[in-house]
Amino acid sequence: MTEFTVKLADIPVRIRAIRPEMRQFLQEYLTEEEAELTIETRQEDIDRERVMSARTRAAEGLSEFRPGDAYLETLAVYRKLAEALVERDVLLFHGSVVAVDGEAYLFTAKSGTGKSTHTRLWRQAFGDRALMINDDKPLLHVGEDGVRAYGTPWNGKHHLGGNCSAPLKALCILERDKENHVERVSPEDAFPRMLQQCYLPEDGEKVEKILALLERMSQCVKLYRLGCNMEPEAALVSYQGMQEEA
Amino acid sequence: MKLKNGFITHNVGKTQMMVATGAASTAFHGLVRSNETAAFIVNCLKQETTEQKIVEAMLKEYDAPAEVIARDVHSVVEKLQGIGALE
Repeated sequence: MTEFTVKLADIPVRIRAIRPEMRQFLQEYLTEEEAELTIETRQEDIDRERVMSARTRAAEGLSEFRPGDAYLETLAVYRKLAEALVERDVLLFHGSVVAVDGEAYLFTAKSGTGKSTHTRLWRQAFGDRALMINDDKPLLHVGEDGVRAYGTPWNGKHHLGGNCSAPLKALCILERDKENHVERVSPEDAFPRMLQQCYLPEDGEKVEKILALLERMSQCVKLYRLGCNMEPEAALVSYQGMQEEA
Repeated sequence: MKLKNGFITHNVGKTQMMVATGAASTAFHGLVRSNETAAFIVNCLKQETTEQKIVEAMLKEYDAPAEVIARDVHSVVEKLQGIGALE
């Protein structure tokens, strides 16, 4: 049993975890501030993650993999966090977020499409102007007049991103293509993909809240669809394409 | 008949988005996108109703022949039954 407070998406959260590794995992986010909510995991939460993880891997046709309790507990904690943070207008989103000149761009797509590859091209193209916020599962605070993307320790297999945040300028649905091109898409067209890449709890009331937050986000963030290859040019085309004025 | 508990809708522009939550989400994982007329039918199904009652409600709202409306209502109801959204 280990207990500590971390600040995620600007909200201090008390974590009561079973495995000692949890503190190490969240180390970069530790805070002395007083917690506003508490997340506690139990062995049954870890066991539930084990069952779900095995089921997901089987559904995706992946080989059997036996994750340890420490890893499974990170999943259990994030699930509970995501469910609690919905009440604070915060969403757990699946995508890779990179900021350039202080403005964040979120690339979302199914796993294996090339989100991480694309944001790597951005880092290569923009050098010090680029800051990696999160490569896999950022938190998004959906405010009345804008969205802010936050780094989390759940940042993908290459552990890219850190304890930082930036206002979200654009959300981009990434698809592979031979040529690079980027177009604006309407909220109606982007919504199904946004919903697919957002963590949805089982609780219907929370899902209703998430639908409303996603809609608000679709109104206050510019939405694009990017077709891209893996050449360096892809980063320049997508950056340029997202610089148009309102 | 009526929409099962757990199916919730949200409008984005002129499109109605419907997803399944809770127990309903184990059977249906997708998203139903409805245009204005299909959304009207979905909204009627939020209370206990019949195809005939939906057709009557639509005749008051839309200027279209009864047989066209009846066919549309039937087609939407069939699709919703197909995904297990009605009880």
